[in-house]
Amino acid sequence: MELEIERLGKRYGQQWALRGLSLRCEPGMLGLVGPNGAGKTTMMRMVATLLDPTEGSIRWNGKDIRHHGATLRQVLGYLPQEFGIYQEFTGRQFLRYLAAMKGLPTPLAQRRVDEVLEIVAMQQMADRKLPTYSGGMKQRIGIAQALLNDPELLIVDEPTAGLDPAERVRFRTLLASLTGDRAIILSTHIISDVEAVANRLVILQQGRMLADTTPEALLTGAAGKVWSVATDQATALRLQATYQVSTMVNQLGGVSLRMISAMRPHEGAVVVDPTLEEAYLLVTQQSVAASML
Amino acid sequence: MSSSITALSTLHMQQRMTQRPHPLLAVLAWELRRFAASRVFWLQALGLFCFLVLLTWAQATLDQYSKRIVSAFIPGTSAWGLLVTLPPMLMLLVVLLPFVTADGVARDRQRHMRGLVMSTVVPSWAYVWGRYLIGLLMSLGLAVLLLAAILGVGMVLHLTDSGYPAPEPGTVLVLWGGMVVPATVLVASVSFALVTLFPRLSTAVKLVILVSWVVGAMVLPILIYLPSGPNALPTGYSAWDPTSELTALAMLQRYQPNVDPQSAAAMSTAQFQSLINTIANKAPDVSTWLTPHLIEAGLSLLLVAAAAFGFQRFRHTFGA
Repeated sequence: MELEIERLGKRYGQQWALRGLSLRCEPGMLGLVGPNGAGKTTMMRMVATLLDPTEGSIRWNGKDIRHHGATLRQVLGYLPQEFGIYQEFTGRQFLRYLAAMKGLPTPLAQRRVDEVLEIVAMQQMADRKLPTYSGGMKQRIGIAQALLNDPELLIVDEPTAGLDPAERVRFRTLLASLTGDRAIILSTHIISDVEAVANRLVILQQGRMLADTTPEALLTGAAGKVWSVATDQATALRLQATYQVSTMVNQLGGVSLRMISAMRPHEGAVVVDPTLEEAYLLVTQQSVAASML
Repeated sequence: MSSSITALSTLHMQQRMTQRPHPLLAVLAWELRRFAASRVFWLQALGLFCFLVLLTWAQATLDQYSKRIVSAFIPGTSAWGLLVTLPPMLMLLVVLLPFVTADGVARDRQRHMRGLVMSTVVPSWAYVWGRYLIGLLMSLGLAVLLLAAILGVGMVLHLTDSGYPAPEPGTVLVLWGGMVVPATVLVASVSFALVTLFPRLSTAVKLVILVSWVVGAMVLPILIYLPSGPNALPTGYSAWDPTSELTALAMLQRYQPNVDPQSAAAMSTAQFQSLINTIANKAPDVSTWLTPHLIEAGLSLLLVAAAAFGFQRFRHTFGA
């Protein structure tokens, strides 16, 4: 299985939401990260055959999905950033409905619904009406429906938005366990969501791809550029105005800062190991700096 | 979340997907289940039925007819009576129909369900036609409630009052089938097709259809009837009038003149009422307008076909 995106672009009016994106996607988890408005959702909707590209092509196993969308949809699982529910249905009925739309024969659909409910630990609540579900439960039903047809390509758009920390961790673990032979594209602007699970990172900003890398390579690139310093309040504020600060913690007798900078920002600063979030900030910061030149 | 996540890998989905259910049947079955699961829909249907029963009851004895010393009423559930009462009741039904059918497809967009459904393998034609057919079925179901109200109230009145004639099922069916059914198909189809093609204009489309119907049923007949009088109604317009208001006005002229020549023979109120009942229950002549009404309904199906053909799975705008 292979998803191949070539010079993909989408324009809304005069504004390009995404342009010149090329990448090849194979089994494994690809983390698509970038700030809000970077073009992540636009890209995912195009891959999910919901949005018409303005330019470029998306091919699934060599076939252009504009003309062979049904081929991709047979093996596609898609969890949109925002999705609605049919209020009349229980969770189980909702899944049975989508299983029918996915073309699953009835006996198989019944079994699959039971299985995906078990996977997302929703068996106990499956016969409750959907409007009674919490945000986290609704999100679990969302991922359950995406898994109904045992997808080869799973697209998950901002799945942890609105979830509490415990739900987020559970969700990440679940996604990581699903990788296997399938390709998963996980879009998020929360770096910690992809940190533990993605073996590849694509960073988007303002509709352009800044990097197509691995978490390890991203961290290596940031080595020696993240600094830690403990200082007083006034100095901390001065440093914050000058450098990209990733963490600022008030402590007894001062402030502890972590900063991103190619050079030592302060005589007391010491190099520390970068986190993935800091490595990501470094890449996006460099991009902003380059665009201002 | 459970640890039994390996369950997925044991499936051989591709092998088991060979016997897919027919996509149109799948859409129909599940839309039907969705309607069936909606308490609001059933409550609305019950409310409408009760209202129609009350309305039919209130119009059960229309104008008193007086000739010399005898008088009689026109039974509201007779053919004559229905030509007076059916067009306004049809208008009441039409007010509801766009809300039942128009958003069959567009509602998925409003509910943020479009992404989930359109990323499945369900073919566009099955999705659009399935949603339409269920909307039409629900609309025809409401039309059946109207028929049930007419026949039910007519029978109850007949059983409780020997002077009230039993409704002629054949006559009632002909008028219902010629006036209500084509209008139901027409409004359901036009509203569904237009809103499917222009989902952002859902409210405007409904409003235009409702206003057009009210104008066609209330304003135009007055404008046409007043200058021409009952005997010079334009035959073409009265045959093709989808609201059936002018159709009914034209047909009424065939009942009233029958009363005068025969009324002299009536020696008592009971005799006169019996005479009126006989005339009122005469089967209407549908030869001039039934075919045009059916053609209108048929043409509206072509509009649905156009909507199914023009429905775009791929959208050009983000929020669509």
